Amino acid sequence: MEIFVVIGVSALLAIFIVAQYNRLIRLNISVDEAFAQIEVQLKRRADLIPNLVETVKGYATHEQSTFDAVVSARAKATSATGVADVAAADGALTQALRGLLAVAEAYPDLKASSNFLALQEELSTTENKVAFARQFYNDNVRSLNEAVATIPTSFFAGLAKVSAREFYEIEDPQSREVPKVTF
Amino acid sequence: MASNFRSAQGANKRKTYFLLAAMGILTWLVAYAALTYFGAGTTSFVVPLAVGIALVGVWGSYYGSDKLVLTMTGARVIQREDNPELFNLIEEVLVASGLPMPKVAIVDDTAPNAFATGRNPDHALIAFTTRILEVMDRDELQGVIAHEMSHVANRDTLVSAVAATTAGAIAILSDFLTRMMWFGGGRDRRDSNQNPLLLIVSLVIMILAPIAAMLLRSAISRRRESLADATAVSFTRNPAGLRRALETLAADSTVVRQRSNAVAHIWIESPLDGKSVSKLFSTHPPIEERIETLRAMESLGPQQ
Repeated sequence: MEIFVVIGVSALLAIFIVAQYNRLIRLNISVDEAFAQIEVQLKRRADLIPNLVETVKGYATHEQSTFDAVVSARAKATSATGVADVAAADGALTQALRGLLAVAEAYPDLKASSNFLALQEELSTTENKVAFARQFYNDNVRSLNEAVATIPTSFFAGLAKVSAREFYEIEDPQSREVPKVTF
Repeated sequence: MASNFRSAQGANKRKTYFLLAAMGILTWLVAYAALTYFGAGTTSFVVPLAVGIALVGVWGSYYGSDKLVLTMTGARVIQREDNPELFNLIEEVLVASGLPMPKVAIVDDTAPNAFATGRNPDHALIAFTTRILEVMDRDELQGVIAHEMSHVANRDTLVSAVAATTAGAIAILSDFLTRMMWFGGGRDRRDSNQNPLLLIVSLVIMILAPIAAMLLRSAISRRRESLADATAVSFTRNPAGLRRALETLAADSTVVRQRSNAVAHIWIESPLDGKSVSKLFSTHPPIEERIETLRAMESLGPQQ
């Protein structure tokens, strides 16, 4: 009789351990996948840039410094690896692109051209996708880090070789700005 | 009290479990009433029959929900080339939610509205009326898409199929039993001296159960709508977009010329006239209440 109890309890224990282990591994994989998604979206954005710069150049000839800033930020972004580096380059490129679009505001002919309008739609949807990919990644990191830090999963983090991961944080002065409140 | 989307999601999920459990208890009560009134012989035949009929009826429409709803609403599936901007917006929500691409359909209608269906995320379908695409700006439409994709993520077609099956089984069962009562047949132990009070209670349960089941079913549907609003905010982190979209829907008095009342519950805004249906029976929470909840989330500021 006792032998069955022992077998039953150890079977339950084994199922429990496997479940915790698998949860950690799954969370870790989803963080990897979420990071890959950021890179996909960043690549899409990088691919749009040469076309955008050429279009703006056609109308705005005296803005060489803005173009250079975008091109060099793009070059940095495409060669970056690792979460912190990619995030830093991503933030710089986001800034440079905002500068480029601000320049475009001053050229009514450019703003009215159908080519530019199409590019603008593509760029704004890609910017949104980049932002959502960052958010999705950070949500996944959040669940993973929570699991690594809380009982019972925390007991198995060593066994699964899973540890807390880095959040994807970009330096964006605009989003850090405290909104003005007037009464 | 203001609550963020995470606590709103948790509360609505808990309430759904509670309501589904109440459905289960109600089914058990009806079976028990049948047992008391008619005895074991009849009950063991009638209960599985009612559940079987309800299961067959609902399962077919659940399994083929994406195709069935297309014919019931007259929606036509479109491709990326037909509306690239709409597809861009949908892709944004997919990136935010990690869901696979659904089928996208358009309903020719002068009322702004949208719905989602499909038995699982891989067989999902989301549809928009032609009008909603005209009246809504980018942020509003993104909120609507996020709400619809939330139904897909939360598997609301499954939840409502389970609710419909239970409510259906209870209705069929109650119908059988009351009929049997009028015709006086079926009682195994007609002359046994059972407690008359127990018999009366059983009778009342059998008669009232279908109404109670319908109330529970609408309550589940309302909770799933609130849950979808909260999940939508978890995708976009922009309660203002969905809030403005709901305000647009509330301001517009045109109603979808739907072909069937059977699919009323799947639209983002209820196509049934809110005034004529009691709040207890309606499939959607009052739109003002949904707007207030979203406004409370906005007041919390940007959320991570």
